[in-house]
Amino acid sequence: VALLWQILVNGVLLGGLYALMALGLVLVWGVLNIVNLAHGALIMLGAYACYYLFTVAGLDPFVALPVAMALLFCIGYLIQRYILNLVIRAPMFNTLLITFGLEVVITFLAQMIFSADFRTVNPSYAGANFVFLGATVPLVRFLAFGVALALTVILWLFLEHTRIGRAIRATAQNLVAARLYGVDPRRLYAVTFGIGAALAGAAGTLYGVVSQINPYIGSGLTGKSFAIAIIGGLDKSIYVLAGGLFLGIVEALTALYIGPTYTDVISFGILVLVLIVRPTGLLGRTA
Amino acid sequence: VKLQLQAALGALVVGLATIPFWGSAVLIQFGISALLLATLAQSWNIIGGYTGYPSFGNSVFYGLGGYGVAIAMVQFQQSFTFGLIVGVLMAVVFAFLLGLPVLRLRGHYFAIATLGLAEVMIAIVSNLEIAGRNIGLVLPLLKGDTLFFELALALLVLTTLTVAWISRSRFGFGLIAIRENEAAAAVMGVNTTLYKVLAFALCSVFAAVAGGIHAYWLTYLDPASAFDITLNVKMIIMAVFGGPGTVLGPVLGAFVLSAVSELLATKVTSLASIFFGVVIVIAVVFMPRGVADLVRRFGQVRWRYFQESVRAHRI
Repeated sequence: VALLWQILVNGVLLGGLYALMALGLVLVWGVLNIVNLAHGALIMLGAYACYYLFTVAGLDPFVALPVAMALLFCIGYLIQRYILNLVIRAPMFNTLLITFGLEVVITFLAQMIFSADFRTVNPSYAGANFVFLGATVPLVRFLAFGVALALTVILWLFLEHTRIGRAIRATAQNLVAARLYGVDPRRLYAVTFGIGAALAGAAGTLYGVVSQINPYIGSGLTGKSFAIAIIGGLDKSIYVLAGGLFLGIVEALTALYIGPTYTDVISFGILVLVLIVRPTGLLGRTA
Repeated sequence: VKLQLQAALGALVVGLATIPFWGSAVLIQFGISALLLATLAQSWNIIGGYTGYPSFGNSVFYGLGGYGVAIAMVQFQQSFTFGLIVGVLMAVVFAFLLGLPVLRLRGHYFAIATLGLAEVMIAIVSNLEIAGRNIGLVLPLLKGDTLFFELALALLVLTTLTVAWISRSRFGFGLIAIRENEAAAAVMGVNTTLYKVLAFALCSVFAAVAGGIHAYWLTYLDPASAFDITLNVKMIIMAVFGGPGTVLGPVLGAFVLSAVSELLATKVTSLASIFFGVVIVIAVVFMPRGVADLVRRFGQVRWRYFQESVRAHRI
């Protein structure tokens, strides 16, 4: 029972990070109707931003987080403004394909610039942990979980209560009506994609702290983000959080009872299964 | 004109078939991989181009074909032909079993589900003892690039003939109707589920044979190379670049892109990998209907073609 409790705690901590990974993907999917296959590559860029801010500039990863987010926001804004806006009204297959192409390009550039070596971010407190109700909790994972949770709440508040947030939600519901109310969709789309990329940057920073990184982690992370988006649906950020926690716990249980090499089978299996059984997502509506 | 085109294509095939007898080893090897990729692009064309279901997981069929051959030859000491049959059977069974539920999905969901399946297969195979787990299988060595070249060429011709038949058959019209408007097709009496699954199974046959030839040719197979996810990118972009839903477009696209990427690879090895990504982005923005459409309409509208392509889809 103690082991099971420990596994559950691990799963929840991992799940919070997973939820943050999926959050940007879900936002872009829900508002722009673009399934961004380059999302994982953006997470990877966020992880490298953290790595370099930590090793070169000596910034603590959690201080580097906003910097990485700002950086990724700019990258995302430019990608949407000058590339994706050109194909936004094309059939869904074309937008899917172009983000696939962007993923290849970003991964290649990362491999050229950062090299294919594994990197780790090791702050002084990397090995620290504390005991919570009998379960060992690594400090960095706990902090990462907390930041992920905080960002989820901040995104929700932002969408509900700010002018831009309302414009984003209005555009998601009805582009024509939003335009009539003076929303410039080109800029708004770029801002939305930028926010999605910034969330990917935040997720990448935290991922870099808890795990090893290399330029090829992107596609696997895109897959996990999808699985969560499909489980949770595109409705509310709280559902995304639930989806992330679910996947985190399932993966932790799989690693314990079936074997660590099967975690991918299970997470992608769930993805396919949910799509087949309930294409609208387990919780709520999917676009 | 039709007859002339057919005669020219026939001559081209005969010309290609002579390559192993005078070409250099490098040219023959490049030819084999280009022919296999063209076969993949052409088989993707059946489900993605004609039926309008953009599968991102056809690498699964390729991998199953390869593992069919590898397992039959290594674990059971059977012949290559027997292995090919096993591989094709596995792929067809897979296409039927998973096609039925997955082909009910549309748009993003279909694409993602197929991509997910491709990832699942890698993970499953790397855990199977009979498939050599992560380490893979080593096949008996056969020195005979000529044979592999002719096999790959024959396969491509067969695939293209099948697509040509599809493009003018009742079956093919049914597929096109599904692509244009699935509900309307169903109302017109097309058994959409049956047609879609048959199209999926048909494209799995050719992809599996290509995978089998590939495995025996390389004499080595591991999960990452057999179910190579980037193969999906390549086959899709080749078909889309050439012209999806046309008979010759995907083959043309495959030859052109293979040749350019090979030339780039001889200059700077790393350039070839970014090449496909850049081509995807440029092609989707400027010529989303492929070279086939560009050639057809360029005479009338000239350079405005690209301008119009962008205008049609931007915001």
